[in-house]
Amino acid sequence: MVRDLIDAVGDQAVVWHDEDLLVYEYDGTIDRGNPDVIVLPANTDDVINLIKIANKYEAPVTPRGAGTGLSGGALAAKGGVIIGMNRMRRILNVDVENKTAIVQPGVVNLDLGAEAERHGLAYAPDPSSQRACTIGGNIAENAGGPHTLAWGTTTNHVLALELVTADGEVQWIGHDTRDEPGYDLVGCVVGSEGTVGIVTQALVRLVPKPTAVRTMLAVYDSVRQASNAVSAVVASGIVPAALEMIDKMTIAAVEPVLNTGFPLDAEAVLLVEVDGPQSQVDAEGARVEGILNRFEPREVRSATDPEEREHLWAGRKGAIGALGQIMPNYYLLDGVVPRTKLPDVLDAVYEIAERYRLPVANMFHAGDGNLHPCLLFDEREPGATERVLDAGGEIMRVCVDAGGAITGEHGVGLEKRDYLPWIFTDADMDAMKSLRAAFGPTDNFNPCKIFPKGHGCGEAGHQHAQQQIAKFGPKAFV
Amino acid sequence: MEVASSAGHSVTPLGGRTMLDLGMPPTRYDIALDLSGLTQIVDYEPNDFTITVEAGMTLADLQRHLAMNGQFLPLDHPQFERATLGGLCAVGRGGLRRNSFGGPRDWLIGMRMVKADGTAIKGGGRVVKNVSGYDLPKLFAGSLGTLGIIVELTFKLRPVPASDQIVAIAANSFDLALAAGRAASQAAPFLNGCVALSGEAAANARSHGAEILSDQPALLLRANGLESSANEVLAQALRAARQSGLDGPELRTAAIVETWQAVTDLELQTPENHVRLRLGLPPANLIQAQGVLNRRLPDATTWIAAADSGLLFLDVPGVDAETVKSLRNELGPLQGRLTIESAPIELKQACNVWGPGGSGVRLMHSIKETFDPQAILNPGRYVDGI
Repeated sequence: MVRDLIDAVGDQAVVWHDEDLLVYEYDGTIDRGNPDVIVLPANTDDVINLIKIANKYEAPVTPRGAGTGLSGGALAAKGGVIIGMNRMRRILNVDVENKTAIVQPGVVNLDLGAEAERHGLAYAPDPSSQRACTIGGNIAENAGGPHTLAWGTTTNHVLALELVTADGEVQWIGHDTRDEPGYDLVGCVVGSEGTVGIVTQALVRLVPKPTAVRTMLAVYDSVRQASNAVSAVVASGIVPAALEMIDKMTIAAVEPVLNTGFPLDAEAVLLVEVDGPQSQVDAEGARVEGILNRFEPREVRSATDPEEREHLWAGRKGAIGALGQIMPNYYLLDGVVPRTKLPDVLDAVYEIAERYRLPVANMFHAGDGNLHPCLLFDEREPGATERVLDAGGEIMRVCVDAGGAITGEHGVGLEKRDYLPWIFTDADMDAMKSLRAAFGPTDNFNPCKIFPKGHGCGEAGHQHAQQQIAKFGPKAFV
Repeated sequence: MEVASSAGHSVTPLGGRTMLDLGMPPTRYDIALDLSGLTQIVDYEPNDFTITVEAGMTLADLQRHLAMNGQFLPLDHPQFERATLGGLCAVGRGGLRRNSFGGPRDWLIGMRMVKADGTAIKGGGRVVKNVSGYDLPKLFAGSLGTLGIIVELTFKLRPVPASDQIVAIAANSFDLALAAGRAASQAAPFLNGCVALSGEAAANARSHGAEILSDQPALLLRANGLESSANEVLAQALRAARQSGLDGPELRTAAIVETWQAVTDLELQTPENHVRLRLGLPPANLIQAQGVLNRRLPDATTWIAAADSGLLFLDVPGVDAETVKSLRNELGPLQGRLTIESAPIELKQACNVWGPGGSGVRLMHSIKETFDPQAILNPGRYVDGI
C-alpha cells in the first residue's frame, strides 16, 4: 500500500517511518492513535486517488488538519492511513462584493481572517487555536470561538463545499447563496467530525468588519459574582461580540508568561467585547460597564486600541498552552448548558474537581453557556489519567442533568462517544448513523468516532467510561 | 405514521397551508397529516434566550409571546398569522431579510421528528451551541416534509432591538430602486433590510397596510439596534442610495411591523393567471440578472428584490417551458437558480419547477431512500422528483 501511495503522490508526501509517525499519534486530547502511514495530498485528485488506494487495501482512513482538535477526532483509532490536508492551504478567491471566499481546507483560520481583513471583512469563527487550526478541521468540528456569541458557529458561515466521500466520489454541495432548493447537505457535513467525507474546498461567508470595538476586563473576587454578572449581561438583551470568563487557576498560568495584566489574586475575570458602529459601541459599552459594576467588581478596565485589545485576548487565547506551567497534562471539557444554569454548574465543577483532588482551570465562553473546565494532571502518576476521566464523566453528567449537552464546539470524537447515549436514544443515534450511511460505505472511514461501540476501537481503554455510565445509568435526559 | 407506513399510504404533512403551491403536486396523496393542533409552548426560560414549541404554533403567536419578554425570533414569513413554525422550517427559507437574519436553519438548535415508520427521533438540544451528534435539525429544515414529520422545535432568540426604523424612498423605476438598493447595502453592510419594489408591488403592499408614499416603485431600507446606531446605518444607506441617483421623496414610517409584513406577504400574492418566479443568486449579479429577465420577459409585472442578499421574485402573465429553460441557461453563468413558485399545473409538468438539482442531488436521493424507503412522504414534490 505504501508503494502505491508513493506512486500516487510522490515519496515527499508520504510519511511512514516509525519516528516520523510519532507526531501524528495525538491531538489535543488524552487519547492516542497509531497510524501506519501519513499521506499529504496537494489537490482534490490526490485525495480521490489516496482514498481509492486505501479502500483497495481495506485500510482505515482518517482525515486530519492541524491536529489541534480536542476530542480525538483526528486520531487514527484503528491505524491505517491519515490523510493530512496541510499542503492544500491556498485561499483561492476573495469576492469582496458578495462577501465570500473560496479556500482549501488546509488554510489556517487566522490566515483567512487576515486576508479578509485586507478587504475590510472578517471571518467570524475564531477558535482559540486559530493560529494553527485549519478551516477543514473547523468545518469538521463546527468550530466556535469567543466571537460566535454574536455571529454563530462555523455552520452559519459555510455556503458550499467540495466533498470527497468515502467511496472516492467528488461533488460540490451547497450553493453560492442561502436556502436554495434541496436538502441542506452542507448543514449535514459541517460538524460531522470528518466521518462522511473529506472537504477539499469550501465557499465561506465573510462578514463586514465592525468599525469600532471595545474590550472590557472586569475583575471579581468570586466566581459566583462573575457568573452572576454574565447572566445579567445576557438577560439585559445586549448581545456582546464576546463574553468570556477566566478563573484564578488560569490567571496563575497565563500571567507569568503572557503578562496580560490579569491580577493574580482575583478569583475570576471577565472579558467582554462589544463591536459595531461607533455610536453603538459607545452606548452598549457604557451599559455593559454599568451591569458589570453592579456585581461589585474590583475594577473594570477598557481597551479600545488594537494593541491593548490584542494583549487582553492573548491571555484568553493563549490560556491552554500556558497551563503547561502548572502541570504537564490537561483534560479539557466542553460541556454546554442553558445560560441560567451556569452559576450552579460552575459550583458543581469546582466541587467535583476538589473531590477528585484535581486542579481545575476554567476559561470559557460564558455568554454561550459553553464551559471549558480544564483538569490538570501528570499522566506519569499512576491512576491519574483514570481519575481525570472519571471526573470528566461526572462533569459531563452535571451538564446533561442541567439540560445541556456533552460538547458545544470540540466534537464527540473518540473521546466522548461513550457518553452520547446520555443525550440521545438508540433511535436518535440510528437516524444519525443512517444519515452517515447515505453518504456511502463508511466502515473503514474515520472509524470509532462519535458513536459508542465499534469493533477494534480500543474497548479496554473505555472501561472507565463504561463504569461511569453504569454508575449514573444510561439515558437520563432523553 | 406507523399506520400509514404499514399500509403503504402516502402522507403529506400540513401546517398553516400557506405554501401548498410550492413544488410539484405529490405523485400520491392518501393522507393529509394536519399538525396545526400542536400549538403548545414546551419550555421557555426567557433568560436562556431559547424556546421549545410544538410544530403547529404560528409564527405570529410565537412572536407575540416572546414580545412580552422583549424577545423575538428573527425570521420573516408571509402570512405569519397562519404560517406554522413546523411548516416554515420544513420550507426552510429565509425571508427578505435573510442577509442579516439567515434562515430557519440558523436559529434552530433542536428538533423532534417522527420518521416515516413512526419512530420518534430528535437532534440538537436546548443549548445555543452544540456539536453532540449529527445536526439532524439542519437536515430536516428545508426538507419540505419529505424526510419525516417535524413535531417540536427549539430556537435560539434575540432581544427586540431598542430602535427599529424603515425608510421608503419613491423611485422612477424598479431598475433605479434596485441599483440604489445595491449601493445602499454595500455602503451600509449592517442594514437589516433592503428591498426594492416595482410599482405594482408597492401598490399591492400599500393596499395591504404598508405605509409607502405612493404606488410608484420604491426602495425600503430597514435598520435597527440602539437608536443612535440605527440612525447611523440608515443615514449611510440613504446617502449611498441618493448618490446613485434615487431622488424621489422619502417617508419614515411608524407602522414598522405592518409595513414589513405587507411587503413580506407579497411573496404569496400572485395575480390570477400569472406565474410567479423566484431567483436566488449572489447579490453582485442581481442587476445583470434583472436585465436578462427584463429583456426576456417584457410583460413581467410585480418585481420584489432583496437587494442585499440576491433574492428576486417576479410575476409574468404567461411563460412557456422553453422560455424557462433558456432563461435558466442564460442565468447559469450568473450562478442564478430560477424556480417556479406558483404556476398552472400544465407548466409545472412541462418544466422542472425546482431547476436542475446540481451535483449534490445524488446524495439527496440517497438520504431520501434512507429516511423514507417506501417513498410515502410527499412523494415527487421536491427537487429532482424526491
